[in-house]
Amino acid sequence: MMSWLLGLSLAFAADPAEEAQRIELERARAQVADQVHLAAFDLIDELVYQLREEPIFAQPTPVVLAGVSVPVGLGTGMQALLENHLAGVLIANPEANLQLVHCPQCTAVVVRSSAKGTVVSRGVDDPALLAELGVEAGRHALFIDVEAEGAFLVLRARLTELSPSLPIVWSHTLSSSTSSPALLRDSTALKSAEEARAEYLNLLNGQGSVVIPARVSVRTYALPEGDNAGTAPPPFIWLQAGVELSPTVARRWTSGMTLGYALIPEAYQGLMAQARLSRLVSGQARSLTHPDLYLFGGLSLSTVWGPATASFRNQALTLDEILTDTALDEPRATFGALQLGAEVRLGNRVGFGVFLETMPQFKTSRNFGRYATLGPVEAHAFGAEVALCF
Amino acid sequence: MNLTLLLAIWASPFIRPQPGSWRDPDEAANYTCTRLSLEEAERARPGAVRPRGPRGDLYDRDVMLCQERILPLGLRLDGDEAVLSSLESRVTELAGAARGYRPDLLGATWLVEVFYPSPAVSAKISFAAKNALMAEGLRVSDRAPTLAAGDVQVITRMPPEDAYPTACRRYADNGSLRAGEVLLAVVQLDRLETTLHAGLCAAGSWTWLR
Repeated sequence: MMSWLLGLSLAFAADPAEEAQRIELERARAQVADQVHLAAFDLIDELVYQLREEPIFAQPTPVVLAGVSVPVGLGTGMQALLENHLAGVLIANPEANLQLVHCPQCTAVVVRSSAKGTVVSRGVDDPALLAELGVEAGRHALFIDVEAEGAFLVLRARLTELSPSLPIVWSHTLSSSTSSPALLRDSTALKSAEEARAEYLNLLNGQGSVVIPARVSVRTYALPEGDNAGTAPPPFIWLQAGVELSPTVARRWTSGMTLGYALIPEAYQGLMAQARLSRLVSGQARSLTHPDLYLFGGLSLSTVWGPATASFRNQALTLDEILTDTALDEPRATFGALQLGAEVRLGNRVGFGVFLETMPQFKTSRNFGRYATLGPVEAHAFGAEVALCF
Repeated sequence: MNLTLLLAIWASPFIRPQPGSWRDPDEAANYTCTRLSLEEAERARPGAVRPRGPRGDLYDRDVMLCQERILPLGLRLDGDEAVLSSLESRVTELAGAARGYRPDLLGATWLVEVFYPSPAVSAKISFAAKNALMAEGLRVSDRAPTLAAGDVQVITRMPPEDAYPTACRRYADNGSLRAGEVLLAVVQLDRLETTLHAGLCAAGSWTWLR
């Protein structure tokens, strides 16, 4: 008996693979709904804006919101969001002359039995029955449908008069594509899509694809350890300026090239050329309201000279070398470095970053320690920087 | 050597991703790409494309505009996806064909009925078809003709080529499709096909549009 029950329970238990697939599909659907609902809100805003500019009725007219349907495959949660948004925007824009009214008989399933037979339908599909139920004549039913058609989100609307012949008195179709950014219009101050687009472009034009960064960075070099350890170079302060480009206004990828100069009188001077590639990791596009986090990698070529640059060599410094360098020929070193770091950008105007740097040329030098080791790569320098972007 | 690497890093963002050897085929299937001229691209995506310089460009440029599907493939049944992905163009074509086929019915009231396995997709097709007929300037009603239970029992056992003309006759006989009304029926004849067929029913006479 027990084995029979066990077998029965196993037979009815969901296959774990199918269950996992179902959960994954639900997760993907929820993610899509989350991304799409702003675009659907935009379409609703545009619909109400057009109704406000060209009202269907001369006077405020009672309208039943008979149905809002969402893309096949997405859940009812999105449907509720769209219904609420539509109601909110219509209430905020009475000039559209559509007064939403509550009519439970209209949206309920009703059954009519007569000598001809029994008919099961929704109230809005049987106006004669609605009249018998006391629903006043002259009402209209508003139907909204949102569907994902390839790369386009399409909104269809129709208004049907609740009279026996159910004539459709108005219909409209709008669409937007996945490549259209959400307009995020204020529901109490609707604008046309063109006006909203112009505002959006004005905002974007304020920060084009070319940015001029001016940067102050400080590099500290790890102290060497162990026997025969040399002397690490002093911290270096660099002033850098250059150009930073991005192929799109989203600024998901940016690349920059800067030239730098360092000067501490009587200690050192230096010149640097640096290229950097940054990737936005805090979102799909640069945020207008929140800080953006970028990860970057870079390559630099530096040349430094002056008494304090004697440590940029592979041998440990001897007292003789220090005296010779100081008294006669100034030490000079030219080296390359690879860089990896993170930067937080505020409004693409101010940036704060930290990075680690490795100098392959000094891998065997006794004058450099290491802050971190990633496989064969040793981080000889740690840096912090502040950038102002123009 | 170092300068070459610097330039390579600096230029790398300008290698734009697009379907092809750099992109996984499954991922590429979720994109619809169109090649646009620079002027078209500036109109379609202002701010995203560098405009042509006042003295022209050093080389010819055009733009590949790739748009991602709203619902990735695999979230809906393949057949439904095929129909829904091109719904607007399908119903526009059907409405145009219906309007052109019977000019004598331009003054009639048009009803729409959809015969498709999925009720949710049927509702979508019906909604879109009604809007498309309205856009053609036709008078459209939300009313749906009905059949008695006995009629349904008989008609559903018939082959499609007989079932739709019979249903059309019954609509006229039982008065649910009145004089001055015409029914546009959108039909999927075979569950494996993605083509939508259409027929017209007026005064008890059935005609296949396509």
